[in-house]
Amino acid sequence: MIRLTNVSKTYAKSTVKAVEDLTLEIKDGEIFGFLGPNGAGKSTTIKMITGILSPDSGVIEVDGINIAENPIAAKSLIGFVPDNHETYETLKGIEYLNFIGTMYNIPSELLKQRVSEYAEMFGLTDALPNMISSYSHGMKQKLMVIAALIHEPKVWILDEPLTGLDPQSAFQLKQLMRKHAEQGNTVFFSSHVIDVVEKVCDRIGIINHGKLVTVDTLDNIRQDENVSLESLFLTITADGTDSVK
Amino acid sequence: MKKFLSLVKLLFVQQYRTKPTEGKKRRGGTIATYIILAVCFTPMLISIAIAMYGVGKISQGLEGGGTNICAMLIFISQGAVLLFGIPTLISNVFTVKDADKLLFLPIRSSTIFAAKLTVAYLNEVITTAVMLVFMLLPFGIGYSAPIGFYFLLLLALVLIPMLPMLLGSIIAVPMSALITKIGKNGVVKTILQVLMFAIIMGAYMFAMYEFGFIGGSEEGDPTDMAQMLLDKLQGMGTMMKYVHSNYTLASAMLGSAFSVVIVNLLISVAENALLVALVIAMSLPFYHWMLTTSVEGAGGRSRRKAAKVTLEVKNKGVVKELIFTDLKRVMRESQMGFQCIMSLIMLPLMVVVFYFCFNISGEGDQSIVEMFKGQALYQGIAPIIFLSYMSLLGMTSNVLGIYPISRENKAIYLVKSLPVSFNKYLLAKVILATAVMVISDFVMCVLIVALFGVKWYFGLAMWFAMAALGFGGMCITTLIDLKSPKLGWTNFNQSLKNAKNSWMALLVAFVVSLVLGTISGVCLLGWYLTNTSWYMLLIMWVLIIGASVGFAAVSYKIMTKNAQRHFDNIEP
Repeated sequence: MIRLTNVSKTYAKSTVKAVEDLTLEIKDGEIFGFLGPNGAGKSTTIKMITGILSPDSGVIEVDGINIAENPIAAKSLIGFVPDNHETYETLKGIEYLNFIGTMYNIPSELLKQRVSEYAEMFGLTDALPNMISSYSHGMKQKLMVIAALIHEPKVWILDEPLTGLDPQSAFQLKQLMRKHAEQGNTVFFSSHVIDVVEKVCDRIGIINHGKLVTVDTLDNIRQDENVSLESLFLTITADGTDSVK
Repeated sequence: MKKFLSLVKLLFVQQYRTKPTEGKKRRGGTIATYIILAVCFTPMLISIAIAMYGVGKISQGLEGGGTNICAMLIFISQGAVLLFGIPTLISNVFTVKDADKLLFLPIRSSTIFAAKLTVAYLNEVITTAVMLVFMLLPFGIGYSAPIGFYFLLLLALVLIPMLPMLLGSIIAVPMSALITKIGKNGVVKTILQVLMFAIIMGAYMFAMYEFGFIGGSEEGDPTDMAQMLLDKLQGMGTMMKYVHSNYTLASAMLGSAFSVVIVNLLISVAENALLVALVIAMSLPFYHWMLTTSVEGAGGRSRRKAAKVTLEVKNKGVVKELIFTDLKRVMRESQMGFQCIMSLIMLPLMVVVFYFCFNISGEGDQSIVEMFKGQALYQGIAPIIFLSYMSLLGMTSNVLGIYPISRENKAIYLVKSLPVSFNKYLLAKVILATAVMVISDFVMCVLIVALFGVKWYFGLAMWFAMAALGFGGMCITTLIDLKSPKLGWTNFNQSLKNAKNSWMALLVAFVVSLVLGTISGVCLLGWYLTNTSWYMLLIMWVLIIGASVGFAAVSYKIMTKNAQRHFDNIEP
């Protein structure tokens, strides 16, 4: 479960609120899609949930743990796939996974088993002994996904997780997300690919100019079944129409 | 031409830019740092200028005028330009990391090459300008050079970087080719770079030795310092005729007859044009080769299927894993690895250089080292001087300790998202930086004992004190970096150029040296007044080690107390 209560954030070098008074709850067993145009506040929200940024006000809880009060316990429950691939480029893929595994205190044998399993699943086994700097965009994305799943976190936070993945890997990831949610865990992901959100998510939230514009199931948002999510999204996020719902 | 100029502007500005905006408070801090730096370095630069003025005065009495000396000063300036310019030359011209960003543009690859070479050249011009202001200009004033000298300084600014460009290309081309052939192993790259640096330094030292700057015996009357210096300068200057482009430039600058000036000037310009032609002839085909290798070779290694994949996975423990991961990353990133290894070997190397410099002796005379060793106060004072000096240099040169957070760069978000106590993370950083220093310190202490005849137990005490001071210093520099890390760089050297951390580290180290100096000064006075009783030295070393350990403990406390706040303020 992820709960955000009246969360606001303004960057030090800006006067504009990147996120304003955001209140949101994502329940266990749910796949939640987070949508919004560029600069809407999606990544800022995700960075706050993962403990990368501190909110100026408000409370963020991960599985009931306040991340500001107990960051280590909260972070250990999260598996995070960032939208960029800025990582330790001079490490080999296997060294990176070993590093992540150690940081999450996974015992060696279990770590080995999970690395083999996920690497096989995403077709990355042969590439793991190579430097990350030699990986293609998609391979880096696969590595990030494996690193996020390796400690079997209760909460998955995925920022544009399907970008760069080949169809097989994208399918695998979607299956994993569904399986993870069915096991009573939480999946929070942001995407620009509306079709994917439409097919995968149980609920969606749309953010614009730092404010949550709408949050509900797709069916409730799309009361008229003939309206596509894409046109709804475009209408909702159009300037000056922040409060459609 | 418009495209070329735009590209030059883009590449030149880009290398000095890490963040688009800076707050007012931060700008104020940067300005304050520069003011402190100016205050610290002005005396040194003024001293150099005064010395050069003196050399100019003395040179008036030389046979053949000051032309040889002027040529020598140009040569020395070129040494500095080469030293500072070669990393830029390699990273700008011979490392084709940005091929994918530039090749799709409607610009010829030769234009890109010309722009990159121009940027490297402009960087060298900046170094040259500093050398001219503090070396050649005061020399000219001291020498009462003709008015033409000052006008031709502007031309010298343009011409002086040519020889370093050629020498830099001669060194960089085979080295870059070798690195490309060997592959992408960062550690091998780093070792090759260090070897290259050692070769350059060796060649430079050899040249200095051959030209009579260091070593050798003095044949003149040792009491007549002016005459001795004059003879030395004369001897060195004579060798400068072999660097003909400099010699003709110097002849033009100091020539009094118009015809002499014009003829020498034309010859010098022609010679320097030849140097440029050689640089282009050597570098352009190599650049094209690097470009092809870079583009065609991309991804090849990753696509190659390994014959047998064995995945070694082991949980080593958080702090150990943090240390080793950090070390691997540093060593595999060529610029960081180079800086790290250099900081490891540079200080011991300096001890050896000091030894050779102080070991000069006339025929039948004692060397300075031998003369000092014979003094009653030597064993008390020498270790303290070494300790202060080496601690100061160690703290300011250890790139691992000065930029621990900045080197995380854009991956800082990863550190912030991990479920690891930040104090553990910082401890790992400080341990790594200190470990490098402790190794270097140990070698240094052994060398000081072996070469300078310092008693082994003082050597051991120095090592303990240095280790504690190093740890404390690394805690402070880590905190400084944490407060305002330079993140978002594309090239580690950019971070080094822009960060004020090393200067802040210098100030911290300076204060530490001052405290050490005060403690030891008082104790040495007591030692002297008690007829060099051993127990005063014992008290002094106990106090020094105690103060060093205290400094380490307090610094660690300060770091851990304030770190989390600064860390939370970093917004990736």
